[in-house]
Amino acid sequence: MGNDSLKDIAIKELLLHLADDDFIHSYRGAEWLGLAPHIEEDVASSSIAQDTMGHAAIYYKLLEEIGVGNADQLAHDRPAKERRNAIILEVVNGPGYYMKDPEYDWAFAVVRNYFYTQAKAIKLQSLHTSSYEPLAEVAQKVQMELYYHLMHWKMWFVQLLGSGHEEAVSRMKAAIEKTLQDFAGVFSLGQYGEEMVELGLIEGEADLQKKWIEAVSPIFESVGLATTFEIRMAKGDGRNGKHTEDLEKALETLSEVYASDKAASW
Amino acid sequence: MNVLLNDMAEQEKLNQFIARIEAGEKIEADDWMPEDYRGTLIKLISMHGISEIMGALPEKEWVPKAPTLNRKLGIMAKVQDEMGHGQLLLRVAEDLLKPYNKKRDDLMQDLFKGDLKFHNVFHMEAKTWGDAGLIGWLVDGAAIISQTNMLGASYGPYARALLRICAEEVFHAQHGEAIIMALAEGTEEQRKLVQDSINYWWESLLLFFGPPSKKEVGSSKQDVTIKYRIRTSTNEELRQAFFSKYVKRILSLGYTIPDETLRFDKESETWIYQQPDWGKLKVYARNEGPLSQERLSLRRISYENNKWVREALAPKVI
Amino acid sequence: METRQKTYFEEFEVFSRKTQTSPVQYHFSLLAPNEDIAIMMAQENFMRREAVDDIWVVKRQNIRKMTAEEKKTLQRLDNKDYRTTKGYGYLKKKWRKYEQEMLDEKEIMSWAGGVKNGE
Ligand SMILES: [Fe+2]
Ligand SMILES: [Fe+2]
Repeated sequence: MGNDSLKDIAIKELLLHLADDDFIHSYRGAEWLGLAPHIEEDVASSSIAQDTMGHAAIYYKLLEEIGVGNADQLAHDRPAKERRNAIILEVVNGPGYYMKDPEYDWAFAVVRNYFYTQAKAIKLQSLHTSSYEPLAEVAQKVQMELYYHLMHWKMWFVQLLGSGHEEAVSRMKAAIEKTLQDFAGVFSLGQYGEEMVELGLIEGEADLQKKWIEAVSPIFESVGLATTFEIRMAKGDGRNGKHTEDLEKALETLSEVYASDKAASW
Repeated sequence: MNVLLNDMAEQEKLNQFIARIEAGEKIEADDWMPEDYRGTLIKLISMHGISEIMGALPEKEWVPKAPTLNRKLGIMAKVQDEMGHGQLLLRVAEDLLKPYNKKRDDLMQDLFKGDLKFHNVFHMEAKTWGDAGLIGWLVDGAAIISQTNMLGASYGPYARALLRICAEEVFHAQHGEAIIMALAEGTEEQRKLVQDSINYWWESLLLFFGPPSKKEVGSSKQDVTIKYRIRTSTNEELRQAFFSKYVKRILSLGYTIPDETLRFDKESETWIYQQPDWGKLKVYARNEGPLSQERLSLRRISYENNKWVREALAPKVI
Repeated sequence: METRQKTYFEEFEVFSRKTQTSPVQYHFSLLAPNEDIAIMMAQENFMRREAVDDIWVVKRQNIRKMTAEEKKTLQRLDNKDYRTTKGYGYLKKKWRKYEQEMLDEKEIMSWAGGVKNGE
């Protein structure tokens, strides 16, 4: 891709952010299948994981259309260092493996889901007016499904924090702290961020983050939480290919069958 | 004298009840029903429900591993449906359990204690993507045979749940076929995945329908369920139906069935087959199958880990 | 004297089921002072020309409906063939190659009456 213009690169990078974010986020959601706090919630949140995987597929398809690679190959056959997802989304649901001793933390699931979905909604809003039309079009469509996702996770967030149950509240607070530690990675636009903004592909990181704070502040206030946010990127910037062992392990699982025969039709 | 009157009143109620189900009427949750009927339904439906939930676990293992985006989506939707079937069925069972003051928590505890059993197939290991496909194709196929057989069940809430379930099972049947078809038309290794899976699962599939009669495992609920018009066919009739629908399809794809004696006897219009090891049903019922303990442990861990969520949001007693 | 509500009428929503296996369906609302009266009004108001197997009435205040904002959560993308039979329709042709039929809804639901044995 040596001949790509800066614009091509910026478009490709942005699409990879979006695709990889949803792909790994959906995986973390899918790991919860069968393990959610109650059966009805298991069914409901599975739809969200499906929708999110569907969104990843849409973005990978856009990448396929501009010749970056086949969608399934992009999803399954790129090593961690080529992935562009934010690090907070790759963090494990808790100790253990989804098939053995999964000591998963519902508080972390709720907080990460709520924070990410809200950030995703804000990004999509911004993408409505993206100068890259195929993306602007897709953003309108994807946004449709976010109403449910957002309302779903916001409800859990508010109810658990508002429950007055000591353990619930302290777990939620710990999860908020843990998530914010690395949440700046979600807003990061990576090394081509400036070009993306200049080209009118998306708003800048600071704007996105500010809108996110504006969106979650009233919710924080409603459950008596302070709205002074320290949003950091402690583990580094996934947009630039920095990742953790959590992602490596996840990719091993996600591509186990695919990698057994990349040429085969499955 | 009073006792006698009571007995007569009970007998009258029972006669009316039998007349109702024989006329094809549906019994509703609040209707009077004989204890025996309630007990039979509770056993059957809570086991059916918890099996759906436990059955989601072996397949769930393959959700992230599914080899394409579309397959990941398909199997996620399928596992979701199975959890949904569990939801529908447990609601039906929970309403039946009201007189005993038992709720979902109690059903989970019964599961953990080993009092509430789940179907033999879900004690098995799903080792390969071929197994994931085979579960969707043939385990669901077997389940569809037995579930459609109860669509006319005399208990209304169960019949309505089954109607929803069977409608979704059509998707499951095709989802399973799609995975298998891709493997069957694929490389040699892919083709082999399916054959290995057929070999591994065949006996379990036969066991799934239950013993032909009491003598194989010492007890059988089939007579009561037929008497009460919960289902129409016997275990053996269902197994025969499974052969009739699936043997030709398996063979048509060029696969073999690990039973050299299997054949359709035209004269008696029945399938002749090698009897499975019926004793295994008892082993699974004791939760001593290949993965019984692992599956239970997954469910137990998630139940314990989420205890605080259920506590935090439990309605307050005013 | 007992305190009574100022209005005699409460609003009730009416649902019914046509047959013992059909889903419950919503009809319309009516006014009545209590649920026993409401259930007596229901059939003649809304189902006087049709067969019905069961009727439910629910106080309107006990029905939590969606707000306009919440209704937005109902929108879905048209990309979910993977969870419907539509996404697997191609199997029909595939099975034909092996001289077999695919198992479609008509076939599977026909098993309800039992299956005739055969090769
Ligand atoms: Fe099912
Ligand atoms: Fe199924």
